Amino acid sequence: MCTTCGCSITPGNSQIAADQGGSRAVVDVVQDLLAANDRVAAHNREHLDAHGVLAINLMSSPGAGKTTLLEATIIALRDRYRIAVIEGDLETDNDAARIRAHGVPAVQITTGTACHLDAHLVHRALHELPLAKLDLLFIENVGNLVCPASFDLGQHRNVTLLSVTEGDDKPAKYPVIFRATDLVVLSKTDLLDVLDDFDPMRAAAALRALGRNTAMIRTAARRRPALRSWFDWLERELAVPRPVSRRPLPLNLSLAT
Amino acid sequence: MHELSVCQALLTQVAEIAADRGAIAVERIIIEVGPLSGVEAHSLLQAFAVARRGSCAADAVLSIEETPVVVLCLGCGVQTKTSPNRLVCAECGGYRTRIMAGDELRLRRVELRVAAAQSAGLALTVDED
Repeated sequence: MCTTCGCSITPGNSQIAADQGGSRAVVDVVQDLLAANDRVAAHNREHLDAHGVLAINLMSSPGAGKTTLLEATIIALRDRYRIAVIEGDLETDNDAARIRAHGVPAVQITTGTACHLDAHLVHRALHELPLAKLDLLFIENVGNLVCPASFDLGQHRNVTLLSVTEGDDKPAKYPVIFRATDLVVLSKTDLLDVLDDFDPMRAAAALRALGRNTAMIRTAARRRPALRSWFDWLERELAVPRPVSRRPLPLNLSLAT
Repeated sequence: MHELSVCQALLTQVAEIAADRGAIAVERIIIEVGPLSGVEAHSLLQAFAVARRGSCAADAVLSIEETPVVVLCLGCGVQTKTSPNRLVCAECGGYRTRIMAGDELRLRRVELRVAAAQSAGLALTVDED
């Protein structure tokens, strides 16, 4: 054990290590550890609601096809809806460049080593977007089925992609993210013929076991007819009247962090 | 990996409490973590050993109380202890359930060392809303 990082301090000897005189005070609290993030997320939602923008948090493992799905969605819907994208990646702005090539605004957030987006990062990105001129905002989270589930960003809906090149038991392995999701998009289903070990029924059963009646739709982003159910879901969500809240007050970030 | 972000949020809250009470050191932090919070207790302890350096809790011990997953069936009203990936009702099989426990990620208690002069007028336990 070393003496620099504190790993030698145990519950048994902590008293000696910390003893600097004085006496002990015990403070009982019930406080969510992510309360600061949740406060900024609520603020983000106010921003979005004030402008009538529907925000969708898109999550999946790396390589499930989030950016490809977004490209196909933009091509199909950009004449009818004003769309923007916030891209989260550890490094590079490759994905934002792919989105911008289709003529819609995209803000790249590079998280460095962080494995998820949080509400503060999204707040900063929102201020770079013309919210008054948008109908639909996609937030493409960092490819990861674990960490993004714990952080509210201020989105209205969570969508999780599950590609058929993954295991059909993913909902059972990653229950936190799949329980939090409003829609599961099975992607790359044009490969089902050659990937006979992925059974969509098994994936649906694992999803149902999480105690939510979450819808699961099948897509293949490179074949437009196979995206119909995804577009239908989006249009239903866009038609839902959302509360137009008051314009949010500037966020005091020193309080929120 | 997000356990480090969680530790930073935790240390911010603890620093506020310690400053409020005029503490000279934080001795122990108790948090509640459920399997559905998406945070691993083991990873959290490792991250805490790094995150606490240079903070007011540099010598503090982090104690984690792990909570079980409990669901309430909205159909038949039965409450059952279950596993994170089996959240339907064990009694009737209904999927309309509410998580009663198991998604906690909460600070519960901070044990502080306060200077003798300040501790004289301080109640041993302070409730905070």
